[in-house]
Formats: sequence, structure tokens, C-alpha cells
Amino acid sequence: MTLYKNDSKKLTEHFFRNEYGKLVAVITQYIGSKNVETAEDIVQETLLKAVDHWQHSGIPKNPQAWLYTTAKNLTLNSINRKKHESNYLLNTLKKEHQLNPIEFSENLIMDGQLNMMFACCHPSISENSQIALILKILCGFSISEIANSFFTTNETINKRLVRGRKQLRKSNFDIRIIQNINDNVKIVLKTIYLLFNEGYYPSKKTTPFQYDLCLEAIRLTKLVIKSDHIKSKAECHALLALMYLNCSRFEARLDTADQTTIELPKQDRSLWNQDLIQLGIQQLQLATDENSVSKYLILATISAQHCIAKTYETTDWNSIVSLYDQLLSIENSPIIHLNKSVALSKTKGNKEAITQLLHLKTNSDIENHYLFHATLGELFKNEKQFKKAKSAYLKAINLTKNSRNIILLNKKINDLVPISKTQLL
Amino acid sequence: MKEFLLLIRSEEAPKANLSPEQLQAHIEKVGGFIKRLTEEGRMKSAQPLEMDGKILSYKNGKIIDGPYNETKEIISGYYHLLATDLEEAIEITKQDPRFEEGIWRIEIRPIKKVKGIN
Repeated sequence: MTLYKNDSKKLTEHFFRNEYGKLVAVITQYIGSKNVETAEDIVQETLLKAVDHWQHSGIPKNPQAWLYTTAKNLTLNSINRKKHESNYLLNTLKKEHQLNPIEFSENLIMDGQLNMMFACCHPSISENSQIALILKILCGFSISEIANSFFTTNETINKRLVRGRKQLRKSNFDIRIIQNINDNVKIVLKTIYLLFNEGYYPSKKTTPFQYDLCLEAIRLTKLVIKSDHIKSKAECHALLALMYLNCSRFEARLDTADQTTIELPKQDRSLWNQDLIQLGIQQLQLATDENSVSKYLILATISAQHCIAKTYETTDWNSIVSLYDQLLSIENSPIIHLNKSVALSKTKGNKEAITQLLHLKTNSDIENHYLFHATLGELFKNEKQFKKAKSAYLKAINLTKNSRNIILLNKKINDLVPISKTQLL
Repeated sequence: MKEFLLLIRSEEAPKANLSPEQLQAHIEKVGGFIKRLTEEGRMKSAQPLEMDGKILSYKNGKIIDGPYNETKEIISGYYHLLATDLEEAIEITKQDPRFEEGIWRIEIRPIKKVKGIN
């Protein structure tokens, strides 16, 4: 901000958003998970106080400490008020904290956030509600920001939050019970991965991706990795590797002219973020230390294969095909078959890939997914069967809700025409 | 230079529904605006006001509480500004980034200077 003098303190990006999550997590540890909403109110009040002070007298030297002191005082006020009102809150306070003064230590912030993450991902809470809770409580998104991210209404998100909070109040999760945390790591990672994918491949939206959601997913995974409570972290490293590697292509993936996605074969590889690729490879190495294979590890390895290839054509397609085969032995899903078919077209030819896809259609409902037809269209185009390619692209257009995909698919149809108009007829 | 009192008006608890991200943007933008004007010597004072205050009036020989406005609108802060004339005060006020949030109204009132007094 140019208006600020050099000596003036600047807030780091998303400072309030991140601090919101930390503060709620710590305060909840003191006032009990039944009172998450009270904690959220206290934090919102803390931030409002900061706004009033900071906008007039500048940002303090240590904004974090300022927030923690204010939040602490507001929490104590709230506890004292409730003491007078009733014993309700008092009874839910954890005994050991009643004696300790409230403090915002590194450890408490870490554990608090982790505890909250696992509580939000409790198996009794639906996936939709899990993600909404995490974004609201841990990532400091407002209801309308969540609704915008998922292209739905405030009411829908509110309903998911209300349902989620109901379960949250019931489940008193405690990460200090090691059994709890290690049983649920997989669910937490799955929720984080869903969050990441919603940012990377938005299901219905008007922009090609949402970087914010991907960054939050990365931040949360790092939190899990930092924790001493978790025994086996191979899968966490693998997921982080996958996210770093996929994010490395963000810039190359966006066509700034019309806000559509540029697909892998056409991306300018010099735009790939080498720092993120390095981070991804490091995590990948950590992930392979434990000699266990997970879905994320295979996906990350596939992503790494793309990242290290000089060109699309010289990618190690044979390795990728066998990685997909491994993946299918863990999770036999039509989407994975679909992705494999692209690699297969490079090793066994387009015809073989088309045959396999048409076979896939007969024993799954993949036909309802736009990507199936878009992929088929691509393969037909490569085989110079332009009429079939066009009809596949048209089916894909009918099935996607993302207006950017429609633009992209229409582009593909137009690209078919100049080659030979007669081939389309 | 003339003096102006700018009354920042809004509905009750105007910022309560802003998200953490929006609150941070508010600090950065509005804070930057106030800082710039202060450094230029144009902003003599700028303060937020607490939500709960009192209105006193005189009725039937004694001072009473109220009457309070029926409307929800409140004054949530003020600026004490220097400008050459009302037109310039208006131009400066229009630059306040808080307007982007769509929840604020600012009333610009020239401070009356009575000659011979002071």
C-alpha cells in the first residue's frame, strides 16, 4: 500500500483470516467445545476492536500479541459474565484450565487448531458440513465467502453449519487421546483433499479455480504434519506433495485472456513454479520413507512425472500407465480409468484408449460426467474422426455446469472446423 | 483553511457482518486514508465512537434521559478535517475507501466560525 510510510507496520496477507482460526481454536480449549460459537463471537469482537484502534492509530508493532491480549481479556470477561448468569459455562470448562491463566502459546495454538480440525471432521458429520465447518471456524471464512466458493446460497451453507455444529457439540473430541487422532487422520486428509479439489477443479463456477481454497488446504495439511500426536505421516506428506506439485502449474494453467483453463499439453512449461515443484519433490521423498503406498502418493508421483517432463510428448507415459494401474488396485473408480485412458492413448494408441473408454461406459455411470465426453472427443480428434469428436464435445457441453468449461469446449469445436469442413459433415 | 466536522453514519454495529478478510481490508484501506490525510495535515482528529452513549434533554424542569431516535441509524465515528472550502471537503471525503463497503454515510458539516469570539 503506497499510502503507508516505510516505518508503518503492514499486515501479512490473510492475517485476520488465519488469526481468527487460531484464536477460536485456543479459546475453545478453555471454554469447551460446546461453546465454539461463543468463542467465535469473542474473536469477531476482538477483530472489531482491532479495526477501531488500528485504522486510527496505525497497526501496532506486534499485531499478533495485541490480538491475543484483547482476546484473552474478552474471554475472561465472558467467563465472568457467565459465572454470574449461570453455572452452565463453568461446568463445561475443563478442570485443568480453570486454574491456569489463559495463554496463547505456540503449542496451544497448534494443538488447538489440530483439535478443532479433527473435531470438525468427526465421522458423524457429513462431508459437506465438515468442509463448511473447517472453512468457517478454522479458516475464518464468512458464510457468504463459503457460499461464493461453492456456488451455493448463504442459506445452504448456514444449514450445513447448523447441522455440523449440532454434531460438533455432541462429539467432545480430544487429540490428546492418541487413538482418536490416528483413527481419524484419513478422514481429515480426505476432507482437506476435497477442499483442495474444490479450489483446483471447481464443480460449478465461473472462474477456472480458486487459489484461496488450495492455499488453505495446504496450510491445514502442514498443521497436521507438524503435530507430534500423529504416528504415521507418510500419507500426509504424500497429500502435501500432490498439492504442491499441482499448484506449481497454476500460472501456466490459466488463460488470462478469457479466464479459461489451459490444458496440460498446451501449457507453457517455463511458467511452472520450480520452487513449488521442489517442495513437492521433497515431500514426495518424505512420503516414500515409510514404504506404504497411498492414493495420494500415487497421484503425487503421477503429478511429479508431469512436472519433470521437458515436453508433453516426452513424458514417461509408460510409468504413468502403470501408476494408474496401481491406483486402480487401491480404488477402482471410473474417473481413474478415464484419466488412465489419456496416458494409454500415448502408449497403446488412441484406438485402444477409445475402445477401453467405450467399454467403461457399459459398466459404470461415467457417461454422465462431462469429462468422459471431453476426453473421448479429444481422442477422436487425434484419430481425425472429426464428426465423432464434435458430437462428443457437444455432449460434454450439455453435461457441465461450469461456464468456463463450456467456453473451452466450444473453442475445441471451432478448432475442429478449419482443418477440413467436409470431414465434419 | 476551513474546518469541517464529518459525521460517519451507519446502521447499528456496521462492521459486525464483515468477514475477517474484509475487516483486514478495511484497516488497510481506511487506515491508509486516515494516515495520509493526517500526514498532509488535513486530518486534525479522527475517532470511532462507542455504540452505547446517552442522550440528555430538558423536560418539565429537569434533565432526563432521552428521547432516543426511533431509527437504527447511529453515528459511529467522526473526522475533523481541514479544507479550503466545502467542495474540496466533499472531494476528499469521496476518497474514503469505506464507501466501497456500502454500509456507510458521511455527513459533511462546515464548522461555523463566529468572528470576534475566541
